Amino acid sequence: MPIESEIIVVSGLPRSGTSLMMQMLHQGGCSILTDSRREPDTDNPAGYFEYENVKRLRQDTSWLPQARGKAVKIVSQLLYDLPATEHYRVIFMERDADEVLVSQEKMLRRLNQPAVPRETMKQACDLHLQRLFEWLAQRSEFTILRVSYNHLIQTAAAEISRISEFLDGSVDVGGMSGAIDPALYRNRSPGQPD
Amino acid sequence: MGKLNLEPGLYERAVRAAASAGYSSVEEFVAHCVENEIKRQSSDEAEAHVTEQLRGLGYIQ
Repeated sequence: MPIESEIIVVSGLPRSGTSLMMQMLHQGGCSILTDSRREPDTDNPAGYFEYENVKRLRQDTSWLPQARGKAVKIVSQLLYDLPATEHYRVIFMERDADEVLVSQEKMLRRLNQPAVPRETMKQACDLHLQRLFEWLAQRSEFTILRVSYNHLIQTAAAEISRISEFLDGSVDVGGMSGAIDPALYRNRSPGQPD
Repeated sequence: MGKLNLEPGLYERAVRAAASAGYSSVEEFVAHCVENEIKRQSSDEAEAHVTEQLRGLGYIQ
C-alpha cells in the first residue's frame, strides 16, 4: 500500500521521544497533523506536535481520513481506539523506563498533578507495553517500527536510515538529523553514556 | 500443593470444558483459568495506573 494512503503514527509512552520524532519527521519533509494548541514549554522546548482530536479517539474517528499520508502523535494507550478501517505505519518510541518516569514526574510536578509511585508505575508500564505489543501483533492494519530514543541520540544516522526505509524513503534524512539536539537529552539514567 | 473444592455441578462442567478444549486433566484446565484471570487482573490494574498518569500529564481526557 502506498505511504500516501496510510496514516503515520508516532506512538509510545509520554516522554519517550514522541515529540522529537514528530519534529524530525516535520524537518524531514513529512506532513504532520497538529493544531499547535499545546505550546512549547520547559518540558518540550521544541513543541509537542499534538492534535487535540486524538484525545477523543474513542468517541470520534471521523477525522482520521484527513491524516492519510501525514504523521500524527498518538500515545500508546490510545492505539486500541484506532479503527481497523485505516492502515497505520507506527513509529513506536522506546526509552529507558527510569528516564521516562523521571521525566514524567518532573512534568507532573510542574502541572501540580500527583504521580503514581515510581515502582508501581514501572511495573504498570511493563505490563501495558507487553499487552499492547501482543495486541498489535494480531492486528493486520498496523505495521510497527520500534525505535529506541537512547539509540537515536547515540547513533542517529543508523536509526534515521531505518526510519527512512520504513517510510519508503519518503523523508529527507538530512533534515531529520538536524532536529536532534543532544542538549535536550536531560533526563538521563546513570547507565547511559554522555 | 493446595487443594480446591468445587461445587459438583461446576466440577462436572469443568471436566467437560477441559476435555473439549484438549486439556490433559481438569486440574491443568483450572490452573490455566486461574493463571489467565490473575494475568487479566494485573493487566487491568496496570492500565488503570497508566491511565491515571497519562491523564495527569494531559495526554488523555
